[in-house]
Amino acid sequence: MAACVAKPSRVAIRVWSWAIFALLLVGWELATRTMGLSALVLPPPSAVGQSLWKGIASGYLLPHIVATMTELVLGMTLGCVIGFVAGVAMAESSRLRELLMPYVVVSQVVPKLALMPLFILWFGFGMTSTVVITALICFFPLLENTMMALTRVPPERIELFRMLDASRLQTLVRLKLPTGLPAILAGLRIALVLALVGAVVGEFVGASRGLGALVIAAQGTMDTPLMFAVLTLIALIGLVAYQSALWIERRLLLPYTYDA
Amino acid sequence: MTFLSMHDVRFEFPGWPPVVRGIDLDVAEGQIKCLVGRSGSGKTTVLKLAAGLLTPSSGAVELRGSPPSSHRRDIGFVFQSPTLLEWRRVIDNVLLPVSLRSAPTAGDRDQAEQLLAQLGLGGYGDRYPRQLSGGQQSRVALARALILQPALLVLDEPFAALDAITREELQADLLATCRERGTSALFVTHDIGEAVFLGDEVMLLHDGLIVKREAITLVRPRAASVRYTPAFAVHAMALRDLMEHVSDSPGIGRPGDRRSLAPAPIDALNDCASAPP
Repeated sequence: MAACVAKPSRVAIRVWSWAIFALLLVGWELATRTMGLSALVLPPPSAVGQSLWKGIASGYLLPHIVATMTELVLGMTLGCVIGFVAGVAMAESSRLRELLMPYVVVSQVVPKLALMPLFILWFGFGMTSTVVITALICFFPLLENTMMALTRVPPERIELFRMLDASRLQTLVRLKLPTGLPAILAGLRIALVLALVGAVVGEFVGASRGLGALVIAAQGTMDTPLMFAVLTLIALIGLVAYQSALWIERRLLLPYTYDA
Repeated sequence: MTFLSMHDVRFEFPGWPPVVRGIDLDVAEGQIKCLVGRSGSGKTTVLKLAAGLLTPSSGAVELRGSPPSSHRRDIGFVFQSPTLLEWRRVIDNVLLPVSLRSAPTAGDRDQAEQLLAQLGLGGYGDRYPRQLSGGQQSRVALARALILQPALLVLDEPFAALDAITREELQADLLATCRERGTSALFVTHDIGEAVFLGDEVMLLHDGLIVKREAITLVRPRAASVRYTPAFAVHAMALRDLMEHVSDSPGIGRPGDRRSLAPAPIDALNDCASAPP
């Protein structure tokens, strides 16, 4: 007879998740202390925490956080607006899709970092180049998901709107976009994660301000605890942004999930 | 008076054999006609031609004397699946045909509520489609097709996915609604019993051709008990025997089969169907 295993509650799972995190930190701290590893190679979490606190309390990290967040928001907005509009246009016109798709694919297969020197040449060293590369990275998932969502509306629904004499605009706004909303929002979530990567990587090469630039600066001064502190901040920003996107997505998709 | 007429209609996708051919079909005002046939016999294609969703390769389809695409308001289409918009409430789904023309008025809302109540869904207007059972969703789809008070309902196996009791309830609802409003209907199904119960005439479609027309002589209004009468069984058996016969005869109805191209084979088939084994 099969044993009946009780399903763990959501709270229990969350508690276990935090417990694993705490265990990892303790293990890391113990390992660095007992194994005698240099703080230059792997600083203990306590040193990372100290460096992070010092940077925040002194206000040293703030302009870098602001710069990265600004690039993230601007790049994401620019990339998503272009991605969404292009996705809609290419879904609505098969000719446009055939015409532009090769260029879109080429823009994605070329490594973005390889384009950075060119962007610095065109847009200068600083925020503009980073915003452009962030937009270039995050426009693709939105374009792809929007295009896919709008072209895969069940044919019966399209026929229903044809039967109801709906105009092309009505079919787009009242059928295709709402039907494709879950996929479009999933694309937005992926774009958000990629946008943060884009902003940080862009700053590695093309900026003197921002968390990415700070990682490179910390590497130059061999301040490994600061590097870890900045990486922690980047992870935190990513986590908060992702959770916010998830929350917005859940709110917007609420009518799609009502069950009996 | 003939309301919908299809004359010698043929439809084919370029480079492929015809899906339907030689379709002659008339639906008079207030009449219910049913099309039965096995999967792939061309039933849905005939419906789409009648509704103006497809244009015939040859022949003519006319609704009140002009192409059906110019009379969309007069046609209510009910699809195989309810095709409700899951992000809109039930009442908004029913009002969709109205809201695509102009903002629904209080009168439109009252009418939608009335229709829902008539179909047994009074008080369900504020729910979302996923909160309804399959049968209730089919009723909402029927209410949506009826909201503009179309003169013709075109239904494509709308109750196929439902259990037997729900199906019978919906069939009764459909008959009552059509009778009350004087609505004509062209109903596609693969269920012979459903076709005999609903139709004034049942047409058997095989390989894109109407091979039998059975006038149903059961009195109206029809109660559920009519299904257990000898007259019902005779109609159903006649159609079933013929359906089995045409399925067992691979040549019948296929392009190139001479018998399928003229009225003669239909008589021949009738003879076959009534001949003793």
